[in-house]
Amino acid sequence: MYGIEDEQEEQLTLSREEAEIDENDAWAVISAYFEEKGLVRQQLDSFNDFINSSLQEIVDENKLISIKPQSQHIPGQSVDDEVEKTHEVEFQQIYLSKPIFTEGDGETAVLFPKEARLRNLTYAAPLFVDIERREKTVHPDGNEEVEVTPYPKIFLGEVPIMLRSDYCNLSARSERDLCDLGECPYDQGGYFVINGSEKVLIAQERMANNHVYVFRKSQPSKYSYVGECRSVVEGSTRTVSTMQVKMLSRAGQKGAGQCIRASIPYVRADIPILIIFRALGFVADKDILEHIVYDFGDTAMMEMLRPSIEEAFPIQSQEVALDYIGKRGSTIGATKDTRIQYARELLQKELLPHIGMEEFCETKKAYFFGYVIHRLLLVALGRREEDDRDHYGNKRLDLGGPLLANLFRQLFRKLSKDVRGYVQKCVDKGREINLTSAISKETITRGLRYSLATGNWGVVGAGEIRPGVSQVLNRLTYASTLSHLRRINSPIGREGKIAKPRQLHNSQWGMICPAETPEGQACGLVKNLALMTYISVGCASNPVLDFLQEWSTEDLEEISPSVIPKATKIFVNGVWVGIHRNPQTLVETLRTMRRQVDVSTEVGVVHDIRLQELRLYTDYGRCCRPLFIVEDQEIKVKKRDIIALQDREETGFTWQSMIEAGYIEYVDVEEEETTMIAMFINDLRLARAGEDGGRSISNIALYTHCEIHPAMILGVCASIVPFPDHNQSPRNTYQSAMGKQAMGMYVTNYQVRMDTQGYVLYYPQKPLVTTRNMEYLHFRELPAGINTIVAIACYSGYNQEDSTMMNQSSIDRGIFRSIFYRSYKTEEKKQGSLVQEAIERPNREITAGTRHGTYDKLDDDGIAPPGTRVSGDDIVIGKTSPIPDDGSGMPQRYTKKDASTALRHSESGMIDSVLVTTGNDGQKFVKMRVRSVRIPQVGDKFASRHGQKGTIGITYTQEDMPFSGEGICPDLIINPHAIPSRMTIGHMVEALMSKVAACMGKEGDATPFTSVTVDNISAALHRCGYQSRGWEVMYNGYTGRQLQAQIFLNPTYYQRLKHMVDDKIHSRGRGPVQILTRQPVEGRARDGGLRFGEMERDCIISHGAAAFLKERLYDQSDAYRVHVCSTCGLVAVANLKKNQFYCTACKNTTGIVQVFIPYACKLLFQELMAMCIAPRMVRGQRRGGMAAAAVAVAAAAAGPPADTVDPQLLQHALQHYPRIILGTGSSSRKGIMDELAAEHGFAYEIAKADIDEKAIRHEDARHLVLRLAHAKAAAIAAKLEAAQDGGPGCSGLLITCDQVVLHEGNILEKPEDEAQARAYIAGYARAPAKTVGSVMLTDLATGRSWEGVDEAEIHFSPIPQDSVDALIAEGEVFWCAGGLMVEHDLVQPHVTRMLGSLDSVMGLDKALVLRLLCAAGGAAAAAERGGGGGA
Amino acid sequence: MGKRKSSAKAPPKKQRPKLETTFACPFCNADKSVGCEMDREKNVGAVRCTQCKAAWSTKIHQLSEPIDVYSEWIDACEAENAS
Repeated sequence: MYGIEDEQEEQLTLSREEAEIDENDAWAVISAYFEEKGLVRQQLDSFNDFINSSLQEIVDENKLISIKPQSQHIPGQSVDDEVEKTHEVEFQQIYLSKPIFTEGDGETAVLFPKEARLRNLTYAAPLFVDIERREKTVHPDGNEEVEVTPYPKIFLGEVPIMLRSDYCNLSARSERDLCDLGECPYDQGGYFVINGSEKVLIAQERMANNHVYVFRKSQPSKYSYVGECRSVVEGSTRTVSTMQVKMLSRAGQKGAGQCIRASIPYVRADIPILIIFRALGFVADKDILEHIVYDFGDTAMMEMLRPSIEEAFPIQSQEVALDYIGKRGSTIGATKDTRIQYARELLQKELLPHIGMEEFCETKKAYFFGYVIHRLLLVALGRREEDDRDHYGNKRLDLGGPLLANLFRQLFRKLSKDVRGYVQKCVDKGREINLTSAISKETITRGLRYSLATGNWGVVGAGEIRPGVSQVLNRLTYASTLSHLRRINSPIGREGKIAKPRQLHNSQWGMICPAETPEGQACGLVKNLALMTYISVGCASNPVLDFLQEWSTEDLEEISPSVIPKATKIFVNGVWVGIHRNPQTLVETLRTMRRQVDVSTEVGVVHDIRLQELRLYTDYGRCCRPLFIVEDQEIKVKKRDIIALQDREETGFTWQSMIEAGYIEYVDVEEEETTMIAMFINDLRLARAGEDGGRSISNIALYTHCEIHPAMILGVCASIVPFPDHNQSPRNTYQSAMGKQAMGMYVTNYQVRMDTQGYVLYYPQKPLVTTRNMEYLHFRELPAGINTIVAIACYSGYNQEDSTMMNQSSIDRGIFRSIFYRSYKTEEKKQGSLVQEAIERPNREITAGTRHGTYDKLDDDGIAPPGTRVSGDDIVIGKTSPIPDDGSGMPQRYTKKDASTALRHSESGMIDSVLVTTGNDGQKFVKMRVRSVRIPQVGDKFASRHGQKGTIGITYTQEDMPFSGEGICPDLIINPHAIPSRMTIGHMVEALMSKVAACMGKEGDATPFTSVTVDNISAALHRCGYQSRGWEVMYNGYTGRQLQAQIFLNPTYYQRLKHMVDDKIHSRGRGPVQILTRQPVEGRARDGGLRFGEMERDCIISHGAAAFLKERLYDQSDAYRVHVCSTCGLVAVANLKKNQFYCTACKNTTGIVQVFIPYACKLLFQELMAMCIAPRMVRGQRRGGMAAAAVAVAAAAAGPPADTVDPQLLQHALQHYPRIILGTGSSSRKGIMDELAAEHGFAYEIAKADIDEKAIRHEDARHLVLRLAHAKAAAIAAKLEAAQDGGPGCSGLLITCDQVVLHEGNILEKPEDEAQARAYIAGYARAPAKTVGSVMLTDLATGRSWEGVDEAEIHFSPIPQDSVDALIAEGEVFWCAGGLMVEHDLVQPHVTRMLGSLDSVMGLDKALVLRLLCAAGGAAAAAERGGGGGA
Repeated sequence: MGKRKSSAKAPPKKQRPKLETTFACPFCNADKSVGCEMDREKNVGAVRCTQCKAAWSTKIHQLSEPIDVYSEWIDACEAENAS
């Protein structure tokens, strides 16, 4: 419409037939492509290949099972070993039917996808196989007898069928037929229907195998360069066998120079490369060097190998080399012959298996191995760059076909293993073999269905399982479905921070959409195919090899290495097959043959002139794209071909014909790098005319190909963006993500589908401005948006921060009105053989667990009829399940339990349709669709096609809206601030062109990379009688005054996005709580609470609003009350009704307190107790102004009973030791002992030790006090013994103790003089003092003792001088360790804090004494028990 | 409370087994009892069982490692047995 009218004169000079094509003709070619291929060709091709070839190949791979009877030794029976019997089971031809379904009554019918979707069935076809069983008997005389039993067409299992593939019942149906079958004619297929849900297999990206990569390693690595080859044999399941060649870094080794070593599978050490050559049979240095360097004149490279040659000097024969490798394998302690044999096999089977796994491949392997080293040296010498891991030529895509093939292979192996096991068992036990029952049809059926249904790719219990391979097909809008079918996933950890694999790579041009990728963690890892990308399905390499042979390729076995530098190396799928001396003609012939389809069109031909290599690829998973072939700077397609193409119904000249005619060819990523592609057809014209700035003259621009159209680099979603070439690139990415949420018409058959969710726009419009790509995406037929009159203006301020203002009158007229469908599903499940659920109207009288919603809307059949208005929590499908008789014989109140389906509580609508049918197992099956109309309202989300999204901030009726001179009112007003920083110029251009299109009644063309300019459009608009830049003079709706500024008022295509306030609005006062924690549940769907999270908490803390915080976190969450025994600190039993309290641990009914804690806290305590940790809630009084009733939680290990105070053990100790002696002279200790004695009802006596305490010294306070206690005990024991006249009858329990004070790292004892006492007391103001006290119990009769140490810390404020004077005068301080008397009236007020018990500070810790008494009691009890037994 | 998404961590990659330096003794069969001393100056490698004190030595070169000396000892034993 606006393009420069092309130089038609030039064309007129030529005859019209022979004229060169123009851009419009290119679009005719593109149309032909999409008509033939559709949009999901890669999926269909890949699946067809699986069905047509892979399936049979996999069966053939392991078709033969051969079983020999393993005779059991049975005593008394001799083995009849004269006759040798072998059983063979062979799988032969497979047969696949079309998808069918067998009903419960045994009736089988053709299954169509619509039915599978509606009835939750699997769209799958049965697979059969011919099996032959042979029983071979070899008689001793050598006669062989074979008994053959054929088993024709045995059912193997069901294979899910991809929709619209060759085996689908819809393939090759006309549009009319499809409509009759309830299908959408625009649906492209390419997915599966598993249990009624549509599943897509996402293409999985991986590194290509059998490529040689050379990488440079940086410092921490031991190596400076590493060359590697991940070798995999074509079409085998063998795992990758990686071979690496590493050059040591200079620093990493002792000797001079850099050695090169190789690591090969199953060898534990790196082997010098020369040893590998020698092991392969190349012994002489010269022979070896020839395989690496090729050109002996290359001294630099030769020099690089010197260290390696010197290193391998001691190993000079093949035997020794093999032995050297063998020794480093897994054969430790084996003999030399075994080791050599092992190494030989290792080199044959595990070293570069893709070259060959048979015998006598040594020459080829040596050449390839040498080649890897050669490549490494090229990089090491700086002659080449290191390889690029992210180059898309090094990537392969596994589509549905290969994914299913791998899965099927694993499952078939499992099946054949099971068959082997069964036959073996039958043969060994001499039973009849019944193969039909040996083949479990479930193995394959279930295996395939499981992986497709869950997305967990792989057989459970065999190898790795990849999640997310199969996904539920996105049906939000048609474009989102298409895009989903063309998605690629790179299985790299999402959390990885490396940016490289996520970045757009140059080599992705034309293959991967540069815009469409998600934001966030998967950015750049999830990709989408560009529109014309084709993924190779793989073809046999034999034809290529035959061709090479024919065209005088010299086999590696037959050449002398000296010719290699002059010839070109030829690789086929990474295997070096030979050399050729005239590569140019070879490549030309190959290309010609490919263009004539004599060789498969998908063969990749890469002529790397610099490396002197010709690499050919036939493998699957390469990205290819079609290009015009250019010869002599002229496109080979001529105008007449286009005319024929446009008339293809008549002429039969199709896309395929263009390929066959050699006008177009598929070029893969790697081959693309060897081509010279003109961007536009015009570039060729310029090149011919010499107007390309002299490029063609200097041979730089000898074009080989021409882009069909550069707009084809975009993917599905980015193709919807008009003028994407005028936008800042991230905006196109945003729109690519948003277009998937736009409402429109997702399929034409949405009325006959029962999708769980479906959004349909009332009056979708095709856009005024389109791209030509959109034609192929059927955007005109299935649009997702409305042409809206948009003003970009500030008007009352209700459109700030990406909010928009919408015209209420337009809304009333129906703009952006949409329907939301939701489907519910129920089935009559069987529970056991007799009990079955029933869909019916539940009777409240006999049904347990009925909901609070109304059952009134149900009809007699238990289903709400279509047309019923329903709202939140209404029961829409009634169902009951019988309660089995409880066996008591009593009549039950309820005989049924409710199992009804209720409408989601936040939704409302009208029953749209009801489907009653039978499911997979013949059970009654009901699906119900509820519809609700959604009218745009404040909060609903809208977006243009340029990543400009916003929510409605206010709606104004027409009279309040501004209007133009023509009386036009905007439907939408967006804020001008949305434009400058986002730089979505495309948005402006679209608006401008839309106005022109509206005026002229035409569609505007916004295809990227065309000659349309803003000036063209402006001029056209001006011609239509409008201001050329789309501005309008407007008037205020309220006042009628002219607005000061002119307003950009134009039509723009807007999308309604699925996010609507009605689905989001949520509030809750109180409501359901979780069972476990009693905290509010989460989520709107469950009427959950709104989370008061960490950040909110931090806010409240910073405000100091503690009461509010407590209310949020406790009162409004999981407030709870427990009763705690104040003796043990554990939760006690409380019966509030009877006012009874009881602590089960203490057998105590008093001193039980009520504590308010969160329920989750209570739960934590209980869980800790289950782990043998006793969390005690200790209610303790603190001195010195501390909060008196603070609840402290002291976690104490609930260890063995001796550690805690067990009343029983204590009692035992007191009984066992009627005489208790306290060995002390301290009055405070006496006081504490008095208290103890009173509490526990015992008597004691006093004895003094009178030892020289200064004689005992130790730097550690704990040791010191224990030693002193020991010394005191010994002294008193001696005294008592003496008092008893040395008699042996001295018995009783002696308690001795000692205490020191630790202060600032010094041990303080009783002060020696007044000065010291003053110094001590003054010091306590500086730093807290710590008391360390020991207690020791000694059984005087046996000499056994128990001891313990307790510590306490005391913080003081400075003690005034007069108090100190008074204390000194009193003199008591001289008897206390450290001169410390906390309990003294003069000292006490200055104690600010005390950690530990008061009695511990005063010299005798009660708790410690009691604990030790218990221990003594326990010992005594044990001794009594032991003694009793002995007597 | 929000449930944390639990996903099984990928098992750590298996390290390539290192070349062994202690071996089973061919005389007393004790596991890991044979140690090896490599005298790079004199080019002599000696293996010795710490359990039964069986010992043997041979010439080595710069590429030799304990496994080479041990393997050669096994070969020597084999040869002795055969003769």
